[in-house]
Amino acid sequence: MPEATLHRTPTTTEMLALTDVHTYYGHIHALKGISMTVNEGEIVALIGGNGAGKTTTLRTVSGMMKPKHGTLTYQGQNAAGIPAHIIMGRGMSHVPEGRRIFKDLTVRENLEVGGYTVTDKALIEQRIQEGFGFFPRLKEREHQLGGTMSGGEQQMLAIARALMVNPKLLLLDEPSMGLSPLFVEAIFDIIVKLNRERGMTILLVEQNANMALEVAHRAYVMQTGEIKLSGKASDIAQDESVRKAYLGDD
Amino acid sequence: MDLATLLPFLVNVIVGGLVLGFVYAIIALGYTMVYGVLQLINFAHSEVFVTGAVVGFEVFRILAPNPMNGYLKLLIALVSAMLISGGLNVLIERLAYRPLRNAPKLVPLITAIGVSLILQDVLRVIEGFQGRFDLTYTLPDAFGVKFCAAESSCVGVGNFLRTIGVDLQVKDVILIVVALLSLTVLNYVVNRTRLGKAIRAVAQDRVTAGLMGIDSNLMISATFLIGGALGGISGVLYGMKVGTLNAYSGFEPGLVAFTAAVLGGIGSIPGAVLGGLLIGVIQKLVSVMSVLGDLVGSKNLATIDDSYSKMGAFVVLVLILIFKPTGLLGKSNTEKV
Ligand SMILES: Nc1ncnc2c1ncn2[C@@H]1O[C@H](COP(=O)(O)OP(=O)(O)OP(=O)(O)O)[C@@H](O)[C@H]1O
Ligand SMILES: [Mg+2]
Repeated sequence: MPEATLHRTPTTTEMLALTDVHTYYGHIHALKGISMTVNEGEIVALIGGNGAGKTTTLRTVSGMMKPKHGTLTYQGQNAAGIPAHIIMGRGMSHVPEGRRIFKDLTVRENLEVGGYTVTDKALIEQRIQEGFGFFPRLKEREHQLGGTMSGGEQQMLAIARALMVNPKLLLLDEPSMGLSPLFVEAIFDIIVKLNRERGMTILLVEQNANMALEVAHRAYVMQTGEIKLSGKASDIAQDESVRKAYLGDD
Repeated sequence: MDLATLLPFLVNVIVGGLVLGFVYAIIALGYTMVYGVLQLINFAHSEVFVTGAVVGFEVFRILAPNPMNGYLKLLIALVSAMLISGGLNVLIERLAYRPLRNAPKLVPLITAIGVSLILQDVLRVIEGFQGRFDLTYTLPDAFGVKFCAAESSCVGVGNFLRTIGVDLQVKDVILIVVALLSLTVLNYVVNRTRLGKAIRAVAQDRVTAGLMGIDSNLMISATFLIGGALGGISGVLYGMKVGTLNAYSGFEPGLVAFTAAVLGGIGSIPGAVLGGLLIGVIQKLVSVMSVLGDLVGSKNLATIDDSYSKMGAFVVLVLILIFKPTGLLGKSNTEKV
């Protein structure tokens, strides 16, 4: 793909760069040479059908999986195969697929664990209150066990938990999943707000491609472990094949 | 039936059962905490516990001629046992279990049994070099006397216990106090501290805990350290209670404490405590059945003696597992990923 399409963005400082990344589950070749960049201050959408490799891409970036080939840099430093708990200490946050709330911890404890790498107690408290500001429902449920929350509430908690470290790079794996339309709207508002007000860099995986392309600066379209298309989000949204496959056009 | 003799008798049985139960509870915590993070039954815990008992024996033996305060000796014994048993448990995990982290469940289980057998003989050899097999605690004299023997030496709770006829030795009271202190500290660490929350997060979902920046291997080590330290404490308490033990003495209390952990719901910390106390009381009740039979004028109970006490515990376990397979306070495991 032409280099020029990759850099029509708010800044041109690379936050994240993948070059020819291959990742496997045992013998299953899930990522077949992915190259992509995310620049500082950008929202980048990663869309594609089921099993395309979107989740695997995020898992590789956050260190949950080790790429077999290729290079992966985060803030200019090698990040390939570095364990998640170390990468996460460097200002990255990952809202995983399926929310993965700690079921036997209360809402507040989930948030506290989210802020594990933050050592300043006052700052943790401040961020918990910020989270309650984004999602007032969480405040009402403060001392409820995570596992007894509704699916949508757990999704809010997962996002609030990831924000506890005020990440430089936020990886979101289908944040709108299981949410009512009203809350989908709210989540996307928050995503935009984090980006515009805090300059947070966001890599957004979404099934809801319409919404994702609306808020993103750029987008990548994945299919069976490869990147099929990339460019400005508004261009991708106009693309005939994308409209057919992911945006529900007939 | 004479109520005036029966009642104090029953009270003493229950108090005695609780004293025993506290030891089981603290041992059971070691099993349940490790199970909580690794879903592994650490069969070597009984030897980690006996190591604590041996360390306690050595400290009291070496310090026996020393005129220092008996409670200071106790403190040294407890701290040494905690450090050595805790460190040993960390080492066991690092060397024997961690390399097998991704192996089928049965493999680390067999390994645990192997570690248990090795440690028994290592302890035996260490003591054997000094010409000892059975180790008899040399406790400070003050620990062996009756608690609250005279009204003048008593205050508050002690006086109340004396009035209702409870018969305790000073070392029993020490045991209860140390156990309660340990439980309080553990409860604080697990529920209130950053470390405790991280350990619980790792126990529930290791991968996601990693995404929170938590080093799960470090937390697993911390769990073995805490569980081992509790094993050390319970070893000293057990040694003080039974007086004489050897390198192979861990098996039986270990098995009973493991039963207690399962009874309470393996993986559950409050469950381990409840299970331990219950089993202690049940054992005590069964072991005094013949005396009880005399008191209520029944000849049928006369043949039941102390040797049935283990059976009592297991009968209760079987019943609980039939009617509530997850244990008294355990949660169903179906949602575990
Ligand atoms: N744990 C796993 N073990 C084996 N194969 C896996 C595993 N997880 C994913 N895969 C395979 O890897 C491929 C990519 O999966 P991935 O989860 O990344 O897709 P995705 O784009 O996130 O899909 P979805 O939109 O359904 O979440 C799929 O073919 C999938 O079957
Ligand atoms: Mg996915």
